[in-house]
Amino acid sequence: MSVLTPPRSAHSRRAGRTPGARPGFSAWANRHRKWLFAAPAMIFVGVLIVFPLAWTVYLSLTDSQGSVRAASEFVGVQNYLTVLSDVERFWPAVGRTLSFTGVALACEVVLGMGIALLLWRPFRGEKWVRVAILLPLVATPVAVGMMWRLIFDPNIGFINQLLGMVGIPPQPWLSGQDTALGTTIFMDVWQWTPMVVLILLAGLTSLSEEPDEAARMDGANAFQRFFFITLPLMMPTVIVAILLRGIDALKTFDILYATKGKGGGSFHEVETLNVYAYGLSFDYNQYGLSSAVLILFFMIIIGTMWLLTMRKKAVSK
Amino acid sequence: MKRRSIVKYAAVAAALSLGLTACGGGGSDAKAGGTVRVTLANHVWTEGIKAAIPEFEKASGLKVELTQLGEDQLSDQYNVKLNAGSDEIDVMMYRPLQEGKAFAKNGYLADLTSKVSQDANWDWKDYQEGPVKATTVDGKVVGVPIITEREVLYYRKDLLQAVGVQVPKTMEELEAAAKKIAASNPDTAGFVARTGKSAAVTQFSSFLYSFGGDFTDASGKSAVNSDAAKKAYAFYGGLIKNYGPKNVSTDMSWPEAMAIFTQGKAAFYTEADSLYKNATDPAKSKVADTVGFAELPAGPAGSKPYNIPSWGLAVNQASSNQDNAWKFIQWATSKERTLEAQKAGVPGPRASVWADPAGTSTYPKDLAAAIAASAKAGVGHDRPEVITVGKAREIVGGPIVASITGGDASAAADTANSAFQTFLDGEKK
Amino acid sequence: MTVLTEDTGNTETRTSAAEPQQARRRRKPLGTRAYKVFRVAALVAVVLFLIAPLFWMLLASFKTNVDIYDTGKSFLFTPTGENYANVLQRNNYFVFIFNSFWVAFVSTVLSLVLGVPAAYAMSRFTMHRSALVVLMARVIPGVSLLVPWYYVFSNLKMVGGFEVLILSHMFVSLPLIVYIMMSYFDSLPLELEESAQVDGLTPIGAFRRITLPLAVSGIATAGILSFIFSWNNFMFALVLSGSKTKTLPVAIFDFVSYASIDWGGLMAAATVVTIPIMIIALFTQKYIVSGLTAGATKG
Repeated sequence: MSVLTPPRSAHSRRAGRTPGARPGFSAWANRHRKWLFAAPAMIFVGVLIVFPLAWTVYLSLTDSQGSVRAASEFVGVQNYLTVLSDVERFWPAVGRTLSFTGVALACEVVLGMGIALLLWRPFRGEKWVRVAILLPLVATPVAVGMMWRLIFDPNIGFINQLLGMVGIPPQPWLSGQDTALGTTIFMDVWQWTPMVVLILLAGLTSLSEEPDEAARMDGANAFQRFFFITLPLMMPTVIVAILLRGIDALKTFDILYATKGKGGGSFHEVETLNVYAYGLSFDYNQYGLSSAVLILFFMIIIGTMWLLTMRKKAVSK
Repeated sequence: MKRRSIVKYAAVAAALSLGLTACGGGGSDAKAGGTVRVTLANHVWTEGIKAAIPEFEKASGLKVELTQLGEDQLSDQYNVKLNAGSDEIDVMMYRPLQEGKAFAKNGYLADLTSKVSQDANWDWKDYQEGPVKATTVDGKVVGVPIITEREVLYYRKDLLQAVGVQVPKTMEELEAAAKKIAASNPDTAGFVARTGKSAAVTQFSSFLYSFGGDFTDASGKSAVNSDAAKKAYAFYGGLIKNYGPKNVSTDMSWPEAMAIFTQGKAAFYTEADSLYKNATDPAKSKVADTVGFAELPAGPAGSKPYNIPSWGLAVNQASSNQDNAWKFIQWATSKERTLEAQKAGVPGPRASVWADPAGTSTYPKDLAAAIAASAKAGVGHDRPEVITVGKAREIVGGPIVASITGGDASAAADTANSAFQTFLDGEKK
Repeated sequence: MTVLTEDTGNTETRTSAAEPQQARRRRKPLGTRAYKVFRVAALVAVVLFLIAPLFWMLLASFKTNVDIYDTGKSFLFTPTGENYANVLQRNNYFVFIFNSFWVAFVSTVLSLVLGVPAAYAMSRFTMHRSALVVLMARVIPGVSLLVPWYYVFSNLKMVGGFEVLILSHMFVSLPLIVYIMMSYFDSLPLELEESAQVDGLTPIGAFRRITLPLAVSGIATAGILSFIFSWNNFMFALVLSGSKTKTLPVAIFDFVSYASIDWGGLMAAATVVTIPIMIIALFTQKYIVSGLTAGATKG
């Protein structure tokens, strides 16, 4: 189930029948319980979204900078044109956002599927493995970022020390222009593969045994059974995992801020759209541009989600 | 039975938390004259002030509410809170050269001009000229400097001695010494300094001035591709490229560069003097016994390190509590407190404290001498004096990195120059 | 189909007790010896990969900074409690722990109060579009909200206390809770409610006395996850917290100051932030798993 397709209600039915209702407030409440229940949450979210979103749209059409209270002029779609023609910061940031998300998700799904298959059948010590899987998942991302910063430190980090033992020269990791993004992807994979494992494991456990048994009878080996039976059946679950992780991966901020700070490093090597928009707002104070980036970013997220939802519908059929 | 009670508990818990939140909120409305809300950055200076706050509270009858944050987090919060015109902050610690101009222009900082001249005892005239210039915007005093820095040369006495070279007095001597040490110690770099595009700009600035350049010329035009600037870029980058650590990262700010130096892996290091304790504290440094300090070597234009206030205190324009805020600043920047802070290792902005032998009693002798010399010849800025400093630093820092990575520093300087000019034109609007 | 997520939790507890019957219901293990060896090796590698970094963080939190900088003392060093004394005493971490706890607790409770009935209505009346409104909160980039929120709340004189922080965290919790609870209510049979109504209960009465108590484990799941997410939230707390409301993830940066990074203190702080949430996670494992996988196995 995804953000764009709320759970299909198994038991939807028509409202209005209210047996045993008493007159007065109670009757009124029962008659209108649908909106009485749903409205407060919707109003809460609505109020907290609508104003900022409207304001962001408005700012994106002005040259607001310095302070949002300062006078600004309406400049139409100028900011969007500036941003869309910016090949130095914006498009590379789009590329990084997509490659961060894409690579991280690919690793997480492949690794996650592998680990889920390992865990599928019961074994002794299963409990401890499950604990180990849960820990990275709940760890505070900022703390995790700091932890990796120490472990990947080029001079004193444990990773380079390990490499040194097998004769590999120290690598710059987070501080290298070419290695930083990969290193942050690694962190994301470490932290979130467990979530993919849990989702896929739930999917595996719910699979019916018959197709697999039948294939076994027909003499299919383990690999054939996985690729031709299990994997196709698991596709909807895999897409759910991608959807759930994808939203968060696109918006990744905490570990990037904790490890590389504002601007994503000297060469903006880990500057994703979220980090770029944050920098435009809080470092450059260019609220007009920043708002335009945010709106475009928002559209990219929605677009990605929509594509995946479509894909899922196709697979589910 | 059980079921109903679960619902009941949930309802009670909800009501309780709502009520308690309201109470928590009620306490925050402490605008009453008796409180002054101070926001400070994590710094040795802050530690000293924090310990002394009870004194102030006792003497003034005011209550101090202190928020302490990392320097980036602090600036993020200012950009949200001051932006919204919040009166939640009274006294704010800020970086005059980094964000001072932007804040002043946005109207975040209260005009302190009349306040600073009122109290002869507190003595505004005692403040060094460079720092005062940096906290004055458009003729108005908007902040009081608290911490100053100059760039000095950190070096390893033992390594110099081993190869028999003197402490370099000029840039050529520095290069020659770095070369010699790097050649005779395969594991040790001759020279290290910041390499991050933005982080390196401040430490590069002293090289730029000493080669006779600056970020802008007298008319305010971009000057980062002047001959002097190009030479400075090539020299700074070349030192690191040729005699720096192997596989040098181009993302080093001071913690990384300092780590290399304090691990004993570099002979020379140019850095802000205010960080000297990292090198002399045996708990942090392996080379605490053998570290020496000297004035920045002279370039073609002499030795011209920056001498700037890295931090200052200001009053939030939107604060409804400005008089109490000023009282706090007055106390925190008094001669006594400045002396105390300076003794704890925080170089201050007051001339009288530097003149006082007690003011330099805790400093290594060579460092005190280097500071005194630097303060005289110092330039009052260490980065472009613009509104959006963050962006400007990235532009003028480009050639540094190009030069370190062995690229064409001269071409990069030309590119940076036109980008910087465009940037400056944009700011004038 | 719909109750499968719950099933996962149960299966897990039962198999860990190693009931043979349960094991048989699952697939027969692959017989080959090579696979068995490979599986054990792979599982050990996975566990090491996941745990080693955390272990390293814990180790570093007991080292002095000199030892951290000394790569010769990776494993052999004299442990010191100094970092923790520094974090807990001199830096008042108990205040931040309380703040983090309080914000997470209140925002979770309030989100449950708003979210559970909403999820119920959205599930029973198939309000897809309405659910989208709430779930939109999960999609929108947080950066676009910070300045506007603070601007409004400061004009309403609502800043300085916990209010803004709690509201912002509710914004994270609410969609999560609605999402989890909707799939939970979907899985609850309607018949019980209906028969209760035949017995004379009003629909709201039936919700309160029948459905809600049945949903307690779902509520626990949603609540625990919402608590964890709130505890870990950084971006909102970074700019919206004040002197009295600073939470742990923001406080971590106290150890990265202008004049030095205190690695030992930083790692101790990171450990202090992470440990409580891990302990909660260990005790509520079953719920967390069912919450994270909510809706995952439906078509």
